[in-house]
Parts: sequence; C-alpha cells; structure tokens
Amino acid sequence: MTNYWIQLFINRNSATSVGAEENLNAILKKYFPGDYQLEIIDIQEDPDKAEEAGILAIPTLIRKWPQPEVRLIGALTVQTRVLAGLGIANVDHLQKQGDK
Amino acid sequence: MSIPKLKTGIAAFDLISAGGLPVGRTTLLAGSSGSAKTLFGAQFLAMGILLFNQNGVFVTFEEQVDDIRNDLKGFGWDIDRWEADGKWTFVDGSAKEEDVITVGEFDLSAFRVRLERAITKNEAQRVVIDSIGSIFTHFPEHNIIRQEMSKVSMTLRRMKTTAIITTERTEEYGAISRYGVEEFLTDNVMILRNVLVNERRRRTIEILKFRGSNHVKGENPFTIVPMKAIVIVPISAMRLTQHSSSERTTSGVAELDQMCGGGFFKGSIVLVSGATGAGKTLLAANFMNGGTEKKQRCLLLAFEESKEQIFRNAKGWGQDLEQQEADGFLKVVSLYPEVCSLEDHLINIQDLVNEFKPDRVAIDSISALTRNPTERGFQEFVVALTSFLKHEGITSMFTATTHMLTGGATVTEGDIATITDTIILLRYVELTGEMQRSITVLKMRGSRHDASIRRILIDEKGMRIGAPITGISGLLSNNPIVA
Repeated sequence: MTNYWIQLFINRNSATSVGAEENLNAILKKYFPGDYQLEIIDIQEDPDKAEEAGILAIPTLIRKWPQPEVRLIGALTVQTRVLAGLGIANVDHLQKQGDK
Repeated sequence: MSIPKLKTGIAAFDLISAGGLPVGRTTLLAGSSGSAKTLFGAQFLAMGILLFNQNGVFVTFEEQVDDIRNDLKGFGWDIDRWEADGKWTFVDGSAKEEDVITVGEFDLSAFRVRLERAITKNEAQRVVIDSIGSIFTHFPEHNIIRQEMSKVSMTLRRMKTTAIITTERTEEYGAISRYGVEEFLTDNVMILRNVLVNERRRRTIEILKFRGSNHVKGENPFTIVPMKAIVIVPISAMRLTQHSSSERTTSGVAELDQMCGGGFFKGSIVLVSGATGAGKTLLAANFMNGGTEKKQRCLLLAFEESKEQIFRNAKGWGQDLEQQEADGFLKVVSLYPEVCSLEDHLINIQDLVNEFKPDRVAIDSISALTRNPTERGFQEFVVALTSFLKHEGITSMFTATTHMLTGGATVTEGDIATITDTIILLRYVELTGEMQRSITVLKMRGSRHDASIRRILIDEKGMRIGAPITGISGLLSNNPIVA
C-alpha cells in the first residue's frame, strides 16, 4: 500500500516545470521508494483538473494523501524544504536510510 | 484617432466616459477598501449580459465565489442562471490553503490557461479580475507576480476582451495603487472613492485617464441603489442642450400670470423665495392646482410637511388636493430630507418622475435639503436636478426659505439663482405699523414682466394679488423708506 499520493501540475512549455518533475522524481525515488503514487498533470492537456483544483501557479505540488492536503509551488529546487513541505519531520533519519 | 468604446450599461457611466470603456483594452480600477470595486466590476458584466448579450468572465482572487453570488442577488442578478446558461463564468483564484510553501521558481501559466479557456468557452467579451492586490498577498514573490500579471494583461489584449482589473489603495488621495501595478496597466485608470464628509459617506468615481480618448475630468458622485446597483450622478457631463419653449402655462394664480407676461414658460424652472409663512407652500399648491385644472399631471415633493398637513392647509385655501390626487392628476410625496444622501434623493426624484410622468413638479422646499450636505454637494445636486427636469420638459417650481423674515438672500438662492429661469420673491413688508405680504417677479428669462412689488392677501379662497405698493423704496434690501 502506498502511503503518499502526490499530484504535480506542470506546463510542458515552461522550463521550470521540467526541472520540477526531475527534482521531484529524484526526491521520491530516494526517500519514498515504492511508497508513493505520483500523478503528473499537464495543464495544457488537462485544464479541467487545474480548474477543479484551483491552480494558479506552475509548478504546483499537492500532497493529496496523507491528509491534510499540502501545497508547494515552485521548481522544488531545495530538497530539504520539499521534504519539510511534504511533512517529513525527521529528514536526517530518512537521509541515512536513503544512503544505505 | 480616438479609440472606440464599449458601452458598459452602467447608468450615466457611459456619459462621463464619453461612450464607455476603451474596447479591447484593460482598465485599472483603483479604490480603497469598501469603495465598491467588486460591485462595479460585477455590474459591468451583469449589464453586458442584460443589455448587450455579451458574456463575461469574473476572476476572483479575494472573495469566495459563493459569497459573490449571494452578495449580488440583492441587485436582482441571478448569477446561478447566467452560469448555467454559459453567460457568466467564474474563475476561482481565491486562496485555497492558509499558507503556500514556495520552493524555487514558478509562473502563473496555470492561471493564464484557465482564464483563456474560460474566455474561449463562453465567448466572453467582458472580463473582470478582482483584485490584483490579493494575488500579491497570496505570493510573496512580487517581482514574479508583476511580471506574470503583465503577461495576463497581454493575454486579455490578444483575446480582444474589454477588461477591468481592480486594485486596492491605502489612501483616498495618494498613490494610485499598492504594489505598483499601474506600471504595466497604464493606459486606462479609474478611481473609486468613499470619503467621509460632514459625517456622511460620499462616493465618487474619477476617470484619471483613457489614453487616446475623451472623458469627463474630475470626480462624479455615485450612489448604490437596491436593484440598480451603482448609479452615477453625471454632474460635470451636464450639457445645456435643453430646448427652451415659448409656450406659456399658468402659474395657478391669474394675477401672477399677468405679472409674468402670460404665465410661466413651459419647461422652465421657477424659484420662489420667501420667509416662513410668506406663502411659498400656498403658491406651490396653486401651481399644482393650475396644472390639474388643465388636466396636467402634477407631482408635489414635500420636504417640510407631511402629506396630511399639506392636504389640511390646502383645504383652508379652498383647494381639495386630496380629491385631485384621487382623480390621478396629482401625486404628493412627503420625504424627510435627512433619510438619505442628496445623490439618493436625486435618484429617487428621477424614479418618481419616470414613473408618474408629470407635466409639472413642485419641490417644497429645496432649502430643506441643505440641512446636511456640503455646499458643493448641494450645488451639484441642484444642477443635476434642474438639468434632468429641463431635459424632461417639466415645468418646475422650487421654493426656498429665507432666514430673515423681511428678506435677505440665502446660500440656497445664491446657488440656484443663476440656473433658474424665473425668480419670484415673497417678502414681509412693514407698512404703517402692519405686516403686509408682498410678491414681486425679480427675474424672468426671455420675457417682459411686471417689476412692481404687489401686495398679497391670503384668505379662505387662497392667494390674491392686489395693487402695487408704491411710494416705498428699499423693500428688498430689508430697509424700507417711505419716499
């Protein structure tokens, strides 16, 4: 069972979006191997979903699960801040796990 | 070459803006909190749907969509139905979470995509973004937001929509807006104000600039009326285009008709000035009576006495106003001057006139309306009122109370005198130990008139005008001397 459900809203036409997708993939693989479900939504292809979620900024990450919902915007360039934003309290612990 | 305008349909706005908002452009609407920015924007869309069959998109960055829907119901706009019919679309950009964490670079392309889609989907010609200031509070990265909003304004322009973007200001007279949005929204700027003057709120709208196009300069007062929303009082847009008539109509007193060279001119404004008890209300009642006898429709607006008092007093002069009202030729409306602002009174009077369609109107007294407003506010009111009545071709009588029993000018008269066509003075005169009432026609535009000062008698038959008072000078200067 996956413990994290994450949506990432991107716009394929923008450079920041490509960076965000890569950054997020790296973080998830490293810290949550097999423990997440990632949904990438391109607003150019799926504007309805952007409308529904009330997205303004690109990229926007939504942690749908666990509740409550958390939103992060930006290219997700700083790993520690992304982890903190996702609600990972003990980053050091995870870091060690990741290094194994 | 002047930029074409899009008629907004907001009462009198199209007049002061010389045709509406610049078509296909974005106008910045700045105003302090509570200055009716959201309402103005919503009304722009509502009027587009109601009057011109033009659809609209409303972007909210601040208020919740449900709140807006509810707030606007009070003006009789059924947003739910318009949404279902695809005439009105909300783009909800209000804050969804308490705080948003920013990690790295971002842009607002999702917003632009949603906006573009909404515009395309319902073929919107009108767009409102309310308010741009709120998006600056959502995101602390103001440089990015400025850059992104400038892209939004380019999107709006490319899509050929006529748009209003609202923005907050912190002072009524100061920088146009916070966050410097006027740097990229420079072409068209309007300001809404809500200022406290003499313990009353005074709302105004000013068109600061419409690049490459005409408009009225300065502040125009407006008011917010249920079911009509914003109604602007176009003071500075008044034009003296009313045609003047040479047709005469009776004053209701035969001798006064003679003094005026055959009666008042149809569609003219008559000012009756006098101290309390000098016969102003009686003259106004006669004026009404003279109209109803000729089967003209007459409207009496009483700001000093109740309807019952007026009916009773008129009975004492042998006039049955109650019967005349029952016959449908007369309508008496009694109002307290203090119940609302002058702008509201003006709208109210316009509504009454449009509804009853009178041939003549009497206002007893116009000076009662000076009790609360500023001098400038009153002047604007009188100009707007006379302009409206003349435009409708209504013969009107305003009474004004002087403070001195024997005469003297008042502020009221000073303001009104120049825009009235006829001025009648009712004065007390002290003659050989007796107080006498007198009447004189001081001015009558475009006509010869009797310049003598005549005695008047008031008895159970009403007003009777007698012989000229001769051998006395200095009557009007409040210093009578027997020659």
